[in-house]
Amino acid sequence: MTLAQQGRAWTWAGLILLAGVYVRALAFTPMERFQGPAQKIFYVHVPSAWSAMLAMGIVGFASILYLLMKDARFDRFAAASAQVGTAFSLVMLTTGPIWARPIWGVWWTWDARLTLTLFLFFLFVGYQLLRGAVTDESLRARYSAVLGICGLVLLPFIHLSVYLFRTLHPQPIVLKPSAPSLPGSMLLTLLVSFGVFTILYVGFVLQAYAVLAARDAANA
Amino acid sequence: MPEGVPANSGYMVAAYIVAAVILVGYALLLARRSGKL
Repeated sequence: MTLAQQGRAWTWAGLILLAGVYVRALAFTPMERFQGPAQKIFYVHVPSAWSAMLAMGIVGFASILYLLMKDARFDRFAAASAQVGTAFSLVMLTTGPIWARPIWGVWWTWDARLTLTLFLFFLFVGYQLLRGAVTDESLRARYSAVLGICGLVLLPFIHLSVYLFRTLHPQPIVLKPSAPSLPGSMLLTLLVSFGVFTILYVGFVLQAYAVLAARDAANA
Repeated sequence: MPEGVPANSGYMVAAYIVAAVILVGYALLLARRSGKL
């Protein structure tokens, strides 16, 4: 089985499981009393944010490894992860405002968390524009690695922004020092969704990596 | 819908559709690009 075929298998498995997450979230997870049905956006918004941040974290670590070892596979892995991160951050940035509108009364507000996540999206897009603009492979890999490491540095600021600044965005309810503050059935749906979005991330990255590897081989 | 719970299911449906369209669309794009690999 080739890498692309493995990626497709992971992706289709992830999409089927995503349908399962939808069914569980909509039909078998209790409704939050104060926010109503809109709260269920939580089960796609938070896991997509997790996958976007996972993607940028891997871009950053692969970039560090590329600069240390000068192995093109790390550069390709970072590029694949950045492509996939763009898709997940798009899900995060569209589902977030759709949730915000009925709860906060506005689609968007320029507070720290939202602005930093928008910046993350621009970093993903900028990363790919940079790769498209530089033709020399070695220079492209080096410049991209520097930008990827900048993205890695951004991640803790995004996570901590709700503590550091006054913001409308709620504080973490799972990834925090104390126990998660939501009922078990909601937590289970969220954790299942985290797992499914991670499977989708793996499937997407394997395929994107295979495409980039084939392109590099054709250009060599 | 229980009394007192906001009626905002349209937003939930919209978010679920948007997320599915982006993820399935990206999956189809990647499947097409990597189809012969």
